[in-house]
Amino acid sequence: MEGFGLCARRCTALGLGWLASALTLGGCDGPDPARKPVNLSQGVPLGAVLAMSGNANVYGQDQNTGLSLALAELNGKGGINGKPLALKIEDSGSDEPGANAAFNLQINRGVLALIGPTLSQQAFSADPIAQRRGVPVVAPSNTATGIPEIGPFISRVSAQSSVIAPLSIAKALQLHPQIRRAAVFYAQDDAYSSAETTIFQKALTARGLKPVTVQRTQLNDQDFQSQISAALQQKPDLVVLSLQAVDGGNMIRQLRELGYKGVIVVGNGMNTPNIYPICQKYCDGILIAQAYSPELRSAANTTFLRRFQAREGGAIPPQLTAQAWTALQVLAEALQRLDRRQPLQQTNLAEARKALMAELLSGTYQTPLGEIRFTPEGEVIQKDFFVAQVRMDASGKSGRFALLP
Amino acid sequence: MELIQLLLNGLSLGAVYALFALGYTLVFSVLGVINFSHGAVFTLGAYFTYLLIGGKAGANGLLSGLQLPFALPFALALPLAGLASALVALLIERVAFRPLRQRGADSLLALISSLGAGVILVNLIQLLMGAESYAIPIGTLASLPASLSIGGARVRTVQVLLLAIATLLLVLLSVWLEGSRSGKALQAVSEDPLTAQLLGIDSDGMIRLAFGISGFLAGVSGGLVGLSVSIAGPYFGISYGLKALGVLVLGGLGSVPGAMLGGLIIGLAEAFVPAEWSGWKDAVAYGFLFLILVIRPQGLLGRPLDTKV
Repeated sequence: MEGFGLCARRCTALGLGWLASALTLGGCDGPDPARKPVNLSQGVPLGAVLAMSGNANVYGQDQNTGLSLALAELNGKGGINGKPLALKIEDSGSDEPGANAAFNLQINRGVLALIGPTLSQQAFSADPIAQRRGVPVVAPSNTATGIPEIGPFISRVSAQSSVIAPLSIAKALQLHPQIRRAAVFYAQDDAYSSAETTIFQKALTARGLKPVTVQRTQLNDQDFQSQISAALQQKPDLVVLSLQAVDGGNMIRQLRELGYKGVIVVGNGMNTPNIYPICQKYCDGILIAQAYSPELRSAANTTFLRRFQAREGGAIPPQLTAQAWTALQVLAEALQRLDRRQPLQQTNLAEARKALMAELLSGTYQTPLGEIRFTPEGEVIQKDFFVAQVRMDASGKSGRFALLP
Repeated sequence: MELIQLLLNGLSLGAVYALFALGYTLVFSVLGVINFSHGAVFTLGAYFTYLLIGGKAGANGLLSGLQLPFALPFALALPLAGLASALVALLIERVAFRPLRQRGADSLLALISSLGAGVILVNLIQLLMGAESYAIPIGTLASLPASLSIGGARVRTVQVLLLAIATLLLVLLSVWLEGSRSGKALQAVSEDPLTAQLLGIDSDGMIRLAFGISGFLAGVSGGLVGLSVSIAGPYFGISYGLKALGVLVLGGLGSVPGAMLGGLIIGLAEAFVPAEWSGWKDAVAYGFLFLILVIRPQGLLGRPLDTKV
């Protein structure tokens, strides 16, 4: 016991020392390549920061697929006016320190722009680093309110929750007009979940469905017996979830196992086929708004679909993959225009980054998401949104997001 | 009915915490060190269970697409996963604890080396199996209903199963510790390894036994939690590990009954958090822990002297 007491004191000292070192290192951004010319020796340098591990890894994997497919497509077509794109992907984990470290690493490598991070929660922490250092960021999946407002170098191709989340509520009420009692669940320690639930709750209230219960969870929670028992006592006939894929998938499974038979509407956090292995047969029937339709007839979507299905054996691409592809596509097209006007090899990195951001925001892009452009603040302007219903196959192992008319 | 519901919720949660904390307790009782790799062994247990029931490795690890040529029933896969986890725990004892113990190194070093072993294990899982989530198929308990009604309260069948298995293991462990020769030998080593050695007890053997049982408990609880809530990637043992540390301290470091009591108290404290505060249940549980420790620093059943088990 005494040994443990001694250990505890030493651990504290060790921990404080480590913390001090980390803070010192964190405050030092290392050698800044921004004053040097753009280094094109390995190709046109771009960086992506994705959650490839931790509880958000399911999104990072979808995004990684989209980026690698887009990279192959773009380089196959000659890259940036003959220069190949050199995209380096870093794993941010699923937390803020990981995203900060990956942003710093990529920026110090001399990338022209960054794609990422995966989570809004991470973006609020890491984007200010890029903003401070003048590096353009295109977010492929951040939907929380306030992301482009972080600064002029921050933009996104993922429509914010306030635009798409109410669509699924409207569709649920259209399909089930008898709905009277809504229960809401959200992860209170997650920026995306907190932002989205506010929008969901406003949409419900606007339709005369003030939630009968609001249950708060935490991102790392996996057992929801307590919250579900409390909610089911209110006899809801609509459950609205703003949760990430893993906790959301677990929530759905436990809701159904505990006897809930009503309608389930979920937010963008569950917009991935990676929920199938978690909620399995219980995923069937959930409603979810979509910013991507595989049925969109356009050259850009046809190319994307062809690449995706060749790799994934005919599967339907998830929204996150389409958005990641789009993020790289818009950067590449902006770079092509910029390079024609102002050759990259003759520009120093800081100037090139600034010019790229201006070029990015000025364009209109034909992407798998349809035609998109940006507001001067970096917010995406997208025309079409959809609502899908998850339909699981008989085995309960796989399914699809079937778009509703 | 609401009280029964809360009790069931709390007991099923608490049983997992208790099972997890017991693994910490056993090693702490013989070495006086918290084995930080315990959470990784718990995670491994879940992956072993998944593979043994015929689960397939996902697309992102070195073992991509791997599937064992057989698929065992869950009732057989779970104890086998426990045994495999016990072997891993023994390996950790061999490489991360024994060399330091033989050199008489400070307990802080063993704590750090166990943390290192845990980090390596978790990264190894990620390397081999990828970072994706896995789930034990819902049909695993096909012959049982998804949930049961007990006294008007509804609880998932898997939670009842978890509570029953955890209780059984806790009782067996207590009976073994108090009623068997080897259990008493383990207690003797925890009191004073040197004296125990002089009395003819193989202290090193007892330490290995503690690691083996601890690993088995971790593996079984990992498999059970995986069945209940899926395997949320290689890091999913971390939150349980942190909670079990709280349980360990609350019950009294090195006390087996303390670990059980602490687990149940933390589980019940979380369950009794009002619904509108549910997102703050960790803060409430740890606040409760803090309060108890202020009143009783040695934990509920811990002894202020250097005596354990």
